Order: sequence, then C-alpha cells, then structure tokens
Amino acid sequence: MIYYITAILLILIGMYAVLTKKNIIKIVIGLSIVDSGVNLLLISIGYIKNGTAPIFSVKGLTPDKMVDPVPQALVLTAIVIGLGVTAVALSLVIRLYDHHKTLNIDKIRKLKW
Amino acid sequence: MNFSPVHFIAVPLFAAFLIPIVGRFSKEAVKLIPGLVLLYLSYVAISLYPIALQKPIVEIIAGFKPPFGISLYFGPLAAFLVTMVMLIGLVIWLYSYKFIIREPLEKYYMLFMLVIAGATGIMITGDIFNMFVFLEITSIAAYSLTAFLRDKDGAEAAFKYLLIGSFSSTFYLLAVMLIYANTGTLNIADIAAKMQTVPNQPKIFIMILFLVGFGIESELFPLNGWAPDAYSQAPSPIGGVFGGIVVKASTYAMMRFAFVLFNFHSMFELILVLGVITMLIAEMSAMRQQQIKRMLAFSSIGQMGLIMIAFGVGTDASVRAALFQVFNHAVIKTLLFLAAGYLVFHSGSKKISALDGLGHNKPITSFFFALGALAIIGLPPFSGFWSKLYILTSVAKGGFLASVVLILFSGIIEAIYYLRVVGRLYFKKDVSQDNVRRTPISGLVAMGILAVVILYVGLYPHQIIDLIKPAAHDLVDKAAYIKYGLLH
Amino acid sequence: MISIPVLLLLIFAAGLLAFIAHHTIPVLRDAIVIIAITIAGYIVWQLPGQTSNVNFSIGMFAINWGVTEYSQLFGLLIAVLSFFALIYSSAFMANKERLGYFYMNFMFSIGAMFGIVYSQDLISLFFFWEIMTWSSFMLTIYCCEEAQSVGLKYFIFSAIGAYSILTAIVIIYSGLGSLQLANIFANFGTMSIAAKLAVVILLITGFGVKSAMMPLHVWAPDAYKMSPAPYTAIFSGALSKMGIFGIGLVLFKLAAGQGFYPYVQEILAWIGALTALFSTFYAIFQTDAKKLLAYSSIGQLGYIITGLAIGTPLSITAALFLTIMHGIFKSMLFLSVGAVYYRTGTTNMNEVSGLIRKMPYTFFTALFGIITVAGIPPLGGFAGKWMLYESLIQSNHYFLVIVIFFASTAAFLYLYRFIFSMFLGQEEKETENVKEAPLRMIVPMLILAVSTLVFGVFPGLLLKPISGAMGYLGNFQHAWETSVLFNNWGSEIDLNTIVTSIGGVFIIAWILITVKGYRKNRYVTTKDIHTSGEVPTGNENLTYAIDFYKPFERALGSVLKPSVDKLYNYTGKLLEDSFEHLRYVYTGNGQTYAMYVMGFLLILFLFSELIFGVAL
Repeated sequence: MIYYITAILLILIGMYAVLTKKNIIKIVIGLSIVDSGVNLLLISIGYIKNGTAPIFSVKGLTPDKMVDPVPQALVLTAIVIGLGVTAVALSLVIRLYDHHKTLNIDKIRKLKW
Repeated sequence: MNFSPVHFIAVPLFAAFLIPIVGRFSKEAVKLIPGLVLLYLSYVAISLYPIALQKPIVEIIAGFKPPFGISLYFGPLAAFLVTMVMLIGLVIWLYSYKFIIREPLEKYYMLFMLVIAGATGIMITGDIFNMFVFLEITSIAAYSLTAFLRDKDGAEAAFKYLLIGSFSSTFYLLAVMLIYANTGTLNIADIAAKMQTVPNQPKIFIMILFLVGFGIESELFPLNGWAPDAYSQAPSPIGGVFGGIVVKASTYAMMRFAFVLFNFHSMFELILVLGVITMLIAEMSAMRQQQIKRMLAFSSIGQMGLIMIAFGVGTDASVRAALFQVFNHAVIKTLLFLAAGYLVFHSGSKKISALDGLGHNKPITSFFFALGALAIIGLPPFSGFWSKLYILTSVAKGGFLASVVLILFSGIIEAIYYLRVVGRLYFKKDVSQDNVRRTPISGLVAMGILAVVILYVGLYPHQIIDLIKPAAHDLVDKAAYIKYGLLH
Repeated sequence: MISIPVLLLLIFAAGLLAFIAHHTIPVLRDAIVIIAITIAGYIVWQLPGQTSNVNFSIGMFAINWGVTEYSQLFGLLIAVLSFFALIYSSAFMANKERLGYFYMNFMFSIGAMFGIVYSQDLISLFFFWEIMTWSSFMLTIYCCEEAQSVGLKYFIFSAIGAYSILTAIVIIYSGLGSLQLANIFANFGTMSIAAKLAVVILLITGFGVKSAMMPLHVWAPDAYKMSPAPYTAIFSGALSKMGIFGIGLVLFKLAAGQGFYPYVQEILAWIGALTALFSTFYAIFQTDAKKLLAYSSIGQLGYIITGLAIGTPLSITAALFLTIMHGIFKSMLFLSVGAVYYRTGTTNMNEVSGLIRKMPYTFFTALFGIITVAGIPPLGGFAGKWMLYESLIQSNHYFLVIVIFFASTAAFLYLYRFIFSMFLGQEEKETENVKEAPLRMIVPMLILAVSTLVFGVFPGLLLKPISGAMGYLGNFQHAWETSVLFNNWGSEIDLNTIVTSIGGVFIIAWILITVKGYRKNRYVTTKDIHTSGEVPTGNENLTYAIDFYKPFERALGSVLKPSVDKLYNYTGKLLEDSFEHLRYVYTGNGQTYAMYVMGFLLILFLFSELIFGVAL
C-alpha cells in the first residue's frame, strides 16, 4: 500500500511543479517526477511481498510466490522513454534560453491567439 | 514474395537508424532512402490490402501466441489507414525533396521515418503497451520536428507540444497500468473479451484517462493548446504530417478503444459534444488569424472536431462518414499545407497579408491552394463535399439535428476565411518582387498527386466508399475483433 | 440516344476545353463554347422524347436524372439565354483578361443549372446547386479587386441558402430514408408536422436566397453589378430562376395539402409583394444602371414569388409566364447596359447621356426591355401582369393588389430614369466618339427584343408549355383559359388581334412622337440650364438627369436608409468580434494549456456521475 501512496504522491508533486512553477527547468523536473511516480506505480502492481523471480524450473516455487514480470518489463521501457522525453525537453530548454534569454514560461508566449 | 505487416514498422525504423550513417557518405542517399522505403511500403500495403479484406492478418511476434506475446492486427481498417499514411508520406517525401534544404537533412528524414514507423505502429499493433511505445516514438519525433527550424518560435511551440504531450503519455500509461491491474493482460482483443468482468468504476476511470490522453493528441478542445503552435511552427510538410498522419493515428486509437473496450453510450455522447465545441471554437479562432499556417492549424482542429462528431454519433453509417472525412482531411489538409509552404516561401513572410497577388506570380501553387480551400469547404465536385454530406446525413439520422446546424454554421465561417485568403491570392495587386524563384517540379508533382486524388474521389466517391465499408465494419464489430485478434 | 448525361458532359467538357484552348489556341475558345451551347440547345429541345430516366448510385445515394415538363420549361430558358449571352460575350469579352477562367466558370454554371433542373433526386440537385454557387461566385469576383468583398457577401448568403437546403435534405433523409424526388413527393405527408414545416421553411429560405427574396436579397445588387454583362444576363435571367424553380417544387409538391399550407402561402405572397415594393424604391435611387436593373430584377422576382404563393391555377400561370418573360427582358436590359459599358466604359447613369444617336439598336433593345418590364402591351410583360392582377383579385387579395399595383406603377419612375439618363437628353462631350456596339452584341439583343414582341402578341406560344409544366405541379392545365383576357374573346387568336391592335396604336404613336419630337430638337450644351439666379461653378454638373429623383430621395431616403444590408453587416461584424474574444483562450502560455488539461480531467472525474452515470 505504501508504494501506491508514495507513487501517487510523487505524481501529485510532479503535477504541482508542472502547473505552478514558472521556471521551465523546474517544469521539466516536474515532468520527470511524474514519470517516476507512474513508473513506481506500475511496478508496484506486480509486486508481491517476499516474492521472487518467476523461474518455473526452480522446484517448489508456486506462482503465488512469483513477482509479475510483465510490469517490470514495461517499466524498463517506460524509463527509457521517459529519459528520451526529458532529453528532448532539456535540449528545447537550452534552445529557448538561447533565443529568449529567460527561463520564465510566462515570458515565452510569442505564439498566441 | 511473402509480405508481412511487420515491415511497416521494421523497415522505416531500420531506415531511421540507417540514415545518419549513410549521411556521412552521401546526402543524396539520405534523401532517396525515405522515398524508397515509402514506395516499398506502399507496395506492401497495396498487396496486403486484398488479403486483409478477406480476413484480418494477425502477425505473431517472436512466437508467443496472443494473448501473451505482442501481435499485430492488420484488418481492413488498418489496411485503409496504413495505405493512406503511406500515400501521404510518399507525397510529403516528394515535396520535401526540394523543399527541405536546410541542414541537418539526415535528422529531418530520420525523424520523418520515425513518425511513419510510430504512426503505422499505433494503427496496426494489437498490444496496448506496444501502442504506448509507438505513441512515444511518434511524439518524440514530432516534438523534434516541430523545433526543426531551430528558430525562436519553433522551440517555443515544441516545448508546449512536449509539455502537453507528456500529459498525454502519462495518462495513457496510467490507463494501461489500470487495465493490466484489472484484467491481467495487455492484448487489446483479450482485454476486450475480459472488459465485461471489470466493475464500472475502474472502467470509467480508465476511460477518462484514455479520453484525455488521446484527446490531447486528437486536438479536442480544451486539450488542444499545443496544436496551433506546433502546426504553424513546424516546417510546412510537417504540418501535413501532423494533420494527415500523427493526429489520425491517435484518433484511430481513441476510436478503437471506444468501440472495443468501452461501449458506453455516454462516452460517445461526450465525444460528440466535445467534437462540436472543438469545431466551433477552432473555426471561430481561425477567422481572424494573421498567419496562414496558423489559420490552417485551426482549420485542422475544426476538421478534427467534425470527425469526432461523426464518430460520436457511433452508428455504422456515421463511422463510415467519419473515416471518409479522415481520409479526405488527410489529403486536403496536406495539400493545403504543402501549397502554403511554397506560398510562404515565395512571399517571404508567414503573414496572410503578404500573399497579395501571388496568384499571378505563382499560378500553379496558388491554384492548388485554391483547390484545396474549395475542397475543404465542401464544395462539389471535390472530395470534401461527399464526406461532409455523409457526415450530415448520418448525424441527422442519429437524431442530432442541432449538431447538423452547428456543422453548417461552422462551414460558413470556414468558407469565409478560406475565401478571404483565396481572394487575396488572385484579386490583389502583386506586391512580391519574386520572379526568380519557382516552385520546383517535385513540389508541384506532390501537390498535383493530391489534387488529382481530391478530384478523383470527388467524381467517383463510391470507389473509396467501397474501401471504407469494411474498414468501418472492422472498427464497429467488437466480436470479430476479439475473435480474430485472439486467433480463434 | 442523346440524353442528360451527354448534355452535362458536353457543357462541362466545353468549359474545360475552353480553359485549355485559351492557354493554347485562343481562337478556338469562343467557337468551342458557342458550338457546345448550340448542340446543348438541340439536346434540350429533343429531351422530352427521351422518356427513360438515368439511374445510378453513388455510395448510399441513388442518383436519378430525368425530364419533366416543368424542368423542360426552365431547361429551354437556360439554353436560349445562354446561347445569346455566349454569342454576345464573344464580342463583349474580346481582349479581356483571363478568358479561360471566365468561360470555364460560365459553362460550369450553365451546366450546373441544367443539372439542377433535370435532377430527380435531392443529392444531385444539391451537388449541382453548389457547383452553380461557386462558379457564379468565381464570375462575381472576376472583374476587379473591389468585387472581392461583394463576392464574399454573395458567397456567405449562398452558403446560408445552400446549407438551409442541405439541412432540409438531411431532415428528409432521416425521416423518409430516400432522396428521390418522386418518393419524397409521394411520402412527404408521412413525416411529422414539425419536420414538414422545418423542411418547407428551410427549402424556401434556401431557394429564396438565389431568387433574391427579401430580406435575403442584399447580395444581389452588388453581385449583379460586378459580374461581367453577359454573365449578369444569365445571373439575373436564368440563375435566379433556379430559386423560383425550387420554390415552385416546394410549394406545390411538398407544402400543398399540408395543414400549414395556407399560412405559408399568405406569408410568402406578402414577402413577394413587399420585395417588389421595396426594391422598386431602392431602384429609383440608384445611379448605377446595373444596380438599378438589379433592384428591378429583385422586384420582378417578388411578383413571381407572389404569383406562385397565391397558388391558384391562374396565378401560377402568371408566375411562370413572368418567369420566362423576366428571363428574356432582364437579359436584354443587362446586355444593353453591357453594350453601353462596352463603348463608354461606365454604367453610371450620371456619366453618359444622349446615346440614342450613337447607339440606336441598343436603345431599341433597352426601350423594348422597359416596355416589357412596365407591362405595357403589345410586349410580353402585359399578359403576365394582367393574369397576376386578375388572379389576385379572384382570390380576394385586394391589399396585395394595391401593393403590387403601386410597386408596378412606381417602377415607371426608375424605368424612365434609366432610359432617359442613358439614351435621351443631351450628348456629352466624352461620348462623342462612341459607336454602336459590334454586330455580335447587337444581334442577340435584337433577337431577344423581338421575341418579347412575339410572346406579347402570341402568348399562346408560351402558355402551352407552361400549362404542361403546371400539369406536373398539380392538375392545373389550361388554367390560362380561365382568364378574363383570354375568355372574353373566345380563343387566343382573337386575343392576339386585340393585343396587336392595342399594341399597333402604341407603336404608331411612339413612332410619330419620336420622329416628330426629334425633328424639333435643338442642340444645347451641358451648361444650358436654369440655375435660379445662382451662377454655377464650372465643374458642377447640373444636368437634370443627375440626382434625378432628389425630391423622392429627400422624402423617402430616411425611411429606407436603415436597410437590412446594414443590419447584416453589423451582425457580421458583431459575430466576428465575438469570435475574436473567443480565441483568447489560446493564451500562448504552455502552463495554461496544461491547466486546461488537468482541469478537464478533474471535471470528468468530479462529474463522472453526471456525465457517465457512474460515481468515482
């Protein structure tokens, strides 16, 4: 249960950062935190206390003792994707800073209406 | 030769990795590779089409039978959409051949290939997590393409797109997670079969997450803040890619899930209402835009609203109409973006007011723009007329007369702002001094192909309707999807 | 077997060929369109012999083309007018720019009109209706930069009209499941009363836009003014009749027999009469000849609408008769104004005068035109107006008679101004070198002018096909025999004698007066005028042809000034401004967009019970 709560808290903290912080680097960090939260949530679905790897050739290991491997595989992929998105985001932040000389998202709104 | 739907994903992905390497040796090869890939894939799509029409092709990856492994589902709908994507992709490649002259070329084509791979991946995959991966491939490539021109506005637009796009992927991933927690499977057909056993509460929760996640990518109001910026700041052919490929892929996903996973009447109603709001606000916003590409972007959003209305009615006929509009909008909006690309290039400004009199100076490009404008307004004998007619009749038959009136009202607004631009092209004094630069042949051929498609479909609409019928059936028929998807 | 598809293909192909020819072999361009319209005329002529309809289907819609006597009436009108207009334009448009564009759109709109009248299902009717709209729009904006906003206004109104029709179509489709005219006419009664009323109102609105029914007429004066003269002839002569065509079908094939029919009739009759009245006033104050004729055209269409709305056999006969006559005389008038424009470069009545000596044949056409408009025997307008009055009196619409009679009399004012300002009065210095228009323009005009005389003397020529058309609309054949005019003298031949003798007197009187009058003319300069003691400055033109109806304008101007046109402009601007505010939701701030997303998500979560019926 604690995992779920932590994960959801992480997501909320991240959302808070994204929605209220004016600095775009902080926004990107917020996105990363949301990502981590989602990943944590995802992996805790398959988690079983004192569970072990699902190796069927091990004698005496019943499926209810096995950790679900699928979320782990998913999370691995999701982490990689999250990394990619963060990298793109940060490179855009660099570009934005080059052009606007500011990191305040309220000042970067030339495209509107 | 034995083709398989895997090629649609594998070949462009491979090409995307090949391009930077080849780019070290030859720039020409970089330009040619995407064309060859798309030609090959168009050939594959067309040769797989009749097979998919008989029975959906379910491709099993790495020997794990569904519901365990990842499988690809290439039914009539996927065949229809993939063929459309390949056609649009090919045209855009042809156009880009001379249009994209700015380095780094290999990055442009690499990202372009990734978009193609990602979008087709979304359309043919039978696995929701796999779909997440493709969604992200498409999105990341799309963010980067938005900022491709390295200018001030491009970066701003790309950042907004990324910010909102991240929300989309987060919600989608949460939804995937909840589905897995509730059904224990990731195969869409299997989920569909098991969805009945899921209690209503989590089901609604998942549905809302999907709706918002895909709503962002499908440009539904109020989730579409990124769209006008991204469309207008990306290189012009990429505007076509967004309107014709990226958005259509997520619309496909939304509709597939809506029909197969959730059969809530209220969900369709919500989509219908959102569609109406999206359409109205977008068309009204387009009215006084100063920049042509931004205007096209809003018009694109408006058209998506129209498509959503038709989907939202949810009957067989309206789904057909929506798919017809999906196709027409992809073709017409791509033509408009391509033509606008050269108009902007020739006038040297993104402003609509800079287009005065270009019709005399650049007659063919302007003609294509005018044709596209007439087609998207829905005038006969162009293709847009028939899809709009189908949408209206099916919406009316579904009993939503108020929506019919609103669609027509927004149609009038659309006509006004498009005709203003066309009027400027032809009936103002020529202000540009540009007599040297001509639109290159490759660009004209690309636009010509789309124009011919528009006219052909406008004159022989039943040919495309014959293809849409099985596609719409594929979308609506949940039982068949489960049956074929699970290889029963 | 030569039938409708061949006809349509011929016209549309000729349009495309003319476009291509213009860019390759310009000589062929005019020949192509004239030959095409000649053949088309022949095809239209022999169409009634072809009894079989053309059926095919597009997707889920069944398409059906066929000939009825009603559509044949309009088909012939289109063919004849187009033929003359095209011959005329081969001279008028020579040396103009972008002729490929001109002829292509010209042919497309002719083809579209044929398509409309020969459609037997609503889908193809609407399809051709839209083609007609955009091709006429293209020709409205053809001339110049100023035409752009005019064209846009025309397009907006057309779109409103077309979309009303479309809404009606989808209501019919969702109610009846079929769009074949025959099915609709047969089963219309089975729909719910609200749907029926909605369909009738929407269709009348839609068709009313094209026939410039008030208050949907505001596009017409400007659009007529801006389009090139040969096309204006078609625009007013044939294209506006498509609206009449549609209103006829709606009234007698759909609305007739429904409970609300009398109300529809009454309202429409009044709309028609008021249209006639107000447009007459507006016409009086115009200084531009084409705008004057445009308002006159709106007024005439008002009579026709009233005639249709009254719905007695005689009034329908009158309406259809006036339809044909209006097609002929309004084309004539627009062509003659075009001829003046061709030679002098203006249609402003203040700038030209005294052209009677320079352009006698044009004057002759214009004169025949206004006599027909005024409804004076022996020309064609007389019989039509007579029947209209008679039918109004027979059906006890006395107030309508008064309004229409008043409008009709007031029409003399602008007709007189029209002929006086342009053709009579002093000659201007600027027009000294003006010559008569070329033969290819004169001949079509004169043939049309003579035809008004022929139809005036032998109205039976027209009444026969009209009574056929009325047989299609309902059982109204031989309605004209109920007219006093035709009864009292037994048969139509006797009538002809009467009409001819009355007309003969008029002609002789006219010849005597003009011949004698002009002998006595003394030549005066433009400045030879009374100025009531004031000394006019040199650059002030005080000829009385200028500000012709200043007193009327003073009296009525303030009443007529708050026109519907301004109301529309105001509404349009208001709407556009409110749209302007709406787009501020796109603030440009990425974070705000993110908040929209989260807000939307929260709303869905919080109100899920309301929206989805399941609480979370």
